[in-house]
Amino acid sequence: MNKTPILEGINLKKTYHLARLAVPVLHGASIQVQQGSWTTILGSSGSGKSTLLHLLGGLDRPDKDGGDVLFNGDSVWNRSNRQINRYRNNDIGFVFQFYHLLPELSIFENTLLPTMLLHSRNSKKDNKSRAKLLLEQFGLGHRLAHKPQELSGGERQRAAIARALVNEPDVLLADEPTGNLDEKTGCEILDVLSQLHTNGLTVVMVTHNEEIAHRGDAVVRLQSGNIIDGASATLAQATQ
Amino acid sequence: MYQTLLTTRYLTSRVIPLIAVAAVALCVALVIVVVSVMTGFLDMVQSAGRTLMGDVIISYGISGLPHYEELQVKLEEDPNILAATPIVDGWGLLRMPYPDSKAKQSETVQVWGIVPESFAKVTDFSDSLQWNVPTDNQRDWLLLDAVTNNANALQLLMSDDAWNTFVEIINAASSTLNFAKANLWNDVKDFVTTEQWDTILSFDERLTEPEKLRKQGLELSRNGKDGIICGLHVSDGNERQRDGSYSVIRNDFWWLPRFDGTLTMLPVDAQGGIIEPESIIMPFVNEFQSGVFLIDESRIFVPISIAQSLLHLDEAEIIDIDNPTVVLGVDPARATSILIRGIPGISAVELREIASVIYDDFRENMPTDTLVFPPSRSDPGLSINTWEEQQRSFTGPVEKERELMRTLFSIVYLVVAALILSIFWSIVFEKTRDIGILRSIGASRAGIVWIFLQYSLVIGIVGSLLGLLLGWGITKNINAIHESMGNPPLAIAIGSFIIATAVAVYTVIKGRSGKMLPIVIGSIGLVTFAGIGALILFIRHIGGLVIWDASVYYFAVIPNNIDWASAIVTVCGAVIFCALGALIPSAKAADTDPVKALRHE
Repeated sequence: MNKTPILEGINLKKTYHLARLAVPVLHGASIQVQQGSWTTILGSSGSGKSTLLHLLGGLDRPDKDGGDVLFNGDSVWNRSNRQINRYRNNDIGFVFQFYHLLPELSIFENTLLPTMLLHSRNSKKDNKSRAKLLLEQFGLGHRLAHKPQELSGGERQRAAIARALVNEPDVLLADEPTGNLDEKTGCEILDVLSQLHTNGLTVVMVTHNEEIAHRGDAVVRLQSGNIIDGASATLAQATQ
Repeated sequence: MYQTLLTTRYLTSRVIPLIAVAAVALCVALVIVVVSVMTGFLDMVQSAGRTLMGDVIISYGISGLPHYEELQVKLEEDPNILAATPIVDGWGLLRMPYPDSKAKQSETVQVWGIVPESFAKVTDFSDSLQWNVPTDNQRDWLLLDAVTNNANALQLLMSDDAWNTFVEIINAASSTLNFAKANLWNDVKDFVTTEQWDTILSFDERLTEPEKLRKQGLELSRNGKDGIICGLHVSDGNERQRDGSYSVIRNDFWWLPRFDGTLTMLPVDAQGGIIEPESIIMPFVNEFQSGVFLIDESRIFVPISIAQSLLHLDEAEIIDIDNPTVVLGVDPARATSILIRGIPGISAVELREIASVIYDDFRENMPTDTLVFPPSRSDPGLSINTWEEQQRSFTGPVEKERELMRTLFSIVYLVVAALILSIFWSIVFEKTRDIGILRSIGASRAGIVWIFLQYSLVIGIVGSLLGLLLGWGITKNINAIHESMGNPPLAIAIGSFIIATAVAVYTVIKGRSGKMLPIVIGSIGLVTFAGIGALILFIRHIGGLVIWDASVYYFAVIPNNIDWASAIVTVCGAVIFCALGALIPSAKAADTDPVKALRHE
């Protein structure tokens, strides 16, 4: 029997408009992500892999009639704004290539921020101790009061992962999480993700790096906005 | 609650909010100061008019109101009326007694014939008198005048030798007195005998009783002779000092109460034709200052009887034209206006209605044998006006001027609003990426807008309150500031040059590294401070700047009361514009897709 994928993109299309020029980026990509898997979206620069991740994470809207994203079988893009906010906040954790921490807030405050945005299911105290625990777990226990710009790239990315995890999301979406780091630091970050995956977290990672891609248990190849390989493999693997 | 956290951080971790606060404060202060001065100016024009003419004025053109004394009594019987006073108003020529022969000239003057006692009750006449007691210097001039005018009488009291020495003392003193203190009083007192001294003092009451100077002003007479009181700017001899007081040129040589003037007026007959001009020579007994330049430069007061006789408005016999020896009766003396002051708390409009009723009643109940009736209310020449209506021609232009300033200032308001808008626009624009981050982790659009609304409200409220404080401080001290602009302290110039030197040294030291920023900032600082110093030296060199010229702006002092109504409007307006300036770009940024906002650099 087919298990419902936790996250599913169906025939996703996305066109960007630069001045009067329409630039199609995704031509109907479909992808299924199974609970507990580590899916890697592999593609060269401009292949649309980040766009695909943004559509999956609720950060960018597909074209009109450009498919939909299902989360636990429910449509994401048919939701109200309020529900989409909650989806970004609660169901998904997003990690960016450039960390995207707020420079005015400390590492601790940055990590805690998602719990403050919407009504949280946990108490303030629980949230704080969770944020602290996550940061300690990622080796940033001594850096809580520091501002992002006082940290190294690896430290910043670990703080960003802590922020993505603070609301206990079901899926972690990582967009080139090592793209801005040297090889050694990049490996450390991948180890962190690997550890999280081992503990049962569903991870979707975008990368252009073939070597890194094999850290996951399923690879989806994307070329010029079309999935050329892997989407069915994931499905096959999950159904086995 | 994350909004408060972010707002606090945005406010405290950067310099730009301070710049925004300063900009808002300066804009608010600027508007408050200018509007307050303009409003105060108009208020001063109006209140000055009121203190000079009472609350309500009954007037009847050139031919005047007969039986005005009875009318005055009737008016004063009303419990709502504090006092009423008749005046005779006309224009005349006053030949000035300037002691330098070439400076003799005539001034066109507005002559008010008044009854000093009741006039002082209706107006601020007694407070406006300029001279209370003679200064030592003025007393020396009075003494010199007394001695030279009565030389013959004095010579009889002295031996020839004593007289010659006495003349030498007087001559020496009189040439000194033109430019410096001469100590004439003590010199003469020491030289002459007690008896002679008493004789000299008896020539002028003001020598023995200095307070007579003011008293003669209040009574409009000296030694039984009717006198003239001039507005302070009628005489060319009075010069305004930097502190706003007045002194008389040539070391009080031109002090008006020493002299007599010749007043000429043109009477008009019953048909409006002009009769032969009439003149009279009278002593100047005092000078007055109302504070309104236009009045102080043209108005003089004389006793009402003098004005009546010069204008042929005094009592006269009515004779039978067919038989000139038959006297039919008496044409009573006339006053051109009656000024009325109400009790405190009554409005001018209410008082006008009361006065109108009294006037009608008075006219209807004249004795049946009256030959000359006061004009009826339907006579177009008769008017019963409030002080505001009466001086519309004077305040009208000022009011228009204020409207013009308001209009011009609404443009300034727009500029200020655009400035505030653009400051916030750039602040929010710079934060677009933060907005993208917040949106991507689930913040709502309204939540984003609220961050920047809070932010702008804090800046707007703090900035405009500081601006209010600054504007209040400047307005309250505007006369002192104007004063020091007229005569800028040397210390500031020296200080500026010292700072300029320090900046120059800093620029040279820092500039050697080749970095541009210290060179640019240093050069700006150097030019600014050296410029300030040089400007101050220049202003001192040309003898100071007088920006507020009394002859242009009617008043000797700049109004310094805050116009609270417009100050509050300004403060609220500034806060609203801050909020708008933040709301529009932050709403725009919040509407952008998170991905686009994240790409913002």
